[in-house]
Amino acid sequence: MNGHPQYAEALALYALGALDNPRELAELETHLGTCGECRRELEALRADTALLALSAVGPKPPDRARQRLLSAIAAEPRVPKKAPQPYTVGRLRSRWFSFAPVAVMLMLAVFSILLGFQVSTANREAKAARAEVERMRAELARNNRELAQNKAIADLMHAPDAWHVDLVAQHTRPQPQIKTIYSKQQGSLMLTATSLAPLPENKVYELWLLPSDGSAPMPAGWFKPDNNGNGWMYHAMQSAGINAKGFAVTIENAGGSQTPTPPIMFAPAPTG
Amino acid sequence: MRVSGTQAPDHKDDAALIDRMRAGDQSAMADLYDRYSGVVYGVALRVLANTTAAEDVVQEVFLQLWRNPGAFDAGRGRLAPWLAVIARNRAIDHLRKRAPEEDIDELPISTGVDMEDEAARKLAVEKVRGVLTQLPQDQRKVLEMAFFEGMTHSEIAGKTGEPLGTVKTRIRTGLLALRKAFA
Repeated sequence: MNGHPQYAEALALYALGALDNPRELAELETHLGTCGECRRELEALRADTALLALSAVGPKPPDRARQRLLSAIAAEPRVPKKAPQPYTVGRLRSRWFSFAPVAVMLMLAVFSILLGFQVSTANREAKAARAEVERMRAELARNNRELAQNKAIADLMHAPDAWHVDLVAQHTRPQPQIKTIYSKQQGSLMLTATSLAPLPENKVYELWLLPSDGSAPMPAGWFKPDNNGNGWMYHAMQSAGINAKGFAVTIENAGGSQTPTPPIMFAPAPTG
Repeated sequence: MRVSGTQAPDHKDDAALIDRMRAGDQSAMADLYDRYSGVVYGVALRVLANTTAAEDVVQEVFLQLWRNPGAFDAGRGRLAPWLAVIARNRAIDHLRKRAPEEDIDELPISTGVDMEDEAARKLAVEKVRGVLTQLPQDQRKVLEMAFFEGMTHSEIAGKTGEPLGTVKTRIRTGLLALRKAFA
């Protein structure tokens, strides 16, 4: 991999499930979301770990393990989902040939009705299956469109020539602003910042999630704005499902802090 | 040793066996088991060092493959390496007393190493072992701690007394040495 050597070693750890620094992990996963080259490298590293696994290949399990597996499988047979097959015609025909011609005629009539019903059922099932395939295809296309759009947004924000232009009412100075998007269900959040004051080399802005149960603020990622005061950040919380009543931003030492240092630099805008 | 891009007949066999499994053919599962149980069991036994626990992993991995054969995508890799990694992950779950996943992971693992044929498999295993033997001992140790013991980066650094950066570098360099040997 040549494009992003800064992630090379973290990727190797990630492929082994050994990357345990939450900040590094979140940063790498964010990057993987937008970088195809690093995703391919991750796939190659997983293949390398598979080679490592081969060094342990050797003994076969005892025979009882085979029997145990096959018994378990027999206990839960998977019936393939197929439309009824016309092969039943041939099977039935051989059975009915031994009857008297009249009976054969009668039974064939009954059989024709049954077959018609069967075909009709098969047609209905096939139609339903086609509709389901169409629905899934449409859903896949929609997901692909959303994915492409999300990637385009992320690429734009990452672009080295990304030009952030804030339009404000004339004769006023642009106000520093931070916007956050938080999903309790996903346990992740995103932040964009504009026109922030520059920070000394050893300082960063850190975001805090304020739990609605009144417990201590939780660190929710840190970032450093660029020379124009703009920045963005994605952060995965340690767990999903945290109810938040708000967010706040403080200035902390580089590397972030576990507890906020006053003063609060940014707080939710008053509503109403 | 065949590499990626070469269509080995046995690779097609694997795909055919998976197709038969999808259709509910239990004998296909038996064939796959006979072909790859040594891969799954060997890895699980190496991680767990306990035959009963390793047999449980074998049962889980193959049973879940039976329940969800679509988890393996023949277009994105070969079955043996995929099973080996799944077995390792399952065994680490056992080792760490984590609840096993409900389903098997759909990880794309596209190594070009031919493992379907018994002779090729033995050759590949010998080659991997040879590469590992040639690695510096410290490097091999951290690789094995991460893979077979499921230790994290900081746990390895704590246990070996090596700086985090050194552990990171050794792990990546070790994996790349394996890749290079099979390139």
